[in-house]
Amino acid sequence: MEDLTEMLKGTLEGCVLEIIGREETYGYAITRRLNDLGFADVVDGTVYTILLRLERNGLVQVTKRPSEVGPPRKFYALNDAGRAELATFWTKWQYVSSRIDTLKEGGA
Amino acid sequence: MGIQDIIEGKKQWRAHLARVKALPPDYQIVYQEMQRYLFKVGPIDLVEGNLLSGIVDFFEEGAASGRGVLEVTGTDVAAFCDDLIKDSRTYAEIYQESAGR
Amino acid sequence: MKFWETITGNDLTREWKVFEARAQALPADYQAAWGQIVSHLFPYGSFTGRNLTPIADAALGLLEEASADGQSVHDVLGDDIAGFSAALAGGAGARTYRDRWREQLNRNVARKLARLGD
Repeated sequence: MEDLTEMLKGTLEGCVLEIIGREETYGYAITRRLNDLGFADVVDGTVYTILLRLERNGLVQVTKRPSEVGPPRKFYALNDAGRAELATFWTKWQYVSSRIDTLKEGGA
Repeated sequence: MGIQDIIEGKKQWRAHLARVKALPPDYQIVYQEMQRYLFKVGPIDLVEGNLLSGIVDFFEEGAASGRGVLEVTGTDVAAFCDDLIKDSRTYAEIYQESAGR
Repeated sequence: MKFWETITGNDLTREWKVFEARAQALPADYQAAWGQIVSHLFPYGSFTGRNLTPIADAALGLLEEASADGQSVHDVLGDDIAGFSAALAGGAGARTYRDRWREQLNRNVARKLARLGD
């Protein structure tokens, strides 16, 4: 689906944390994963800015590894702070989505 | 252009420019325009962080994978820049805060 | 009030005089917030204050309604009056320098990349 940019703002960071939490990975692979998931508008640039923020906020462990093509790649893995942040994200997500469902079903 | 003066003349800056020049032409164009914009907006990351060299790292990876620059940044390059400096205060903001006091 | 002079020069327009009178009818905390909104809006307006008028009118209207409802000014505006003002100005289509630079950047990129393709 397209034109999700505005709605995805704020949740993409959580998605990236989740992807990194599964296994250590790098920027382009994360973009591809999100594209395959159906978020067609997500480009590397979007993911890059998120990774930059995660790194700056001390939520990931970064390792440079050689690549078959081009310069070394930065690989990202979650550290303890990152795992805590991911848990918080899912808690918040659960809350928001349940509230919105309630609203949609016409509840309180 | 105070920031550029500070950086310029240093070996680091020359090495940085050499890396930019080694990028494919489309990446070079977008890099130059981004740099021009960032110098105008003036985020403090420009001198205190490694914002610009980080962009070159990112561009080198994109170029190596054979993709065009806009595939990597998205077509709204300005939005990409703003995302990059979202957490960085600008010199204009700092000035306004001090003037407002 | 110094910012009135800054905004309008010494030549207060009729609309702004009306705004000032309306603002003075508000409770003190609302008046203070109004002063802040105006000073934050100023960078978004042209120097004549022309673009500001409808935005200021809308903001003042919001404050009047909210104070009539008995809400506290903090309930209405939150902590980030600068952000509120920027959003107001943006919503009304006012353009900042930064917006102009943004457009310039994207325009230059599009033009130069197109030339590269020739």
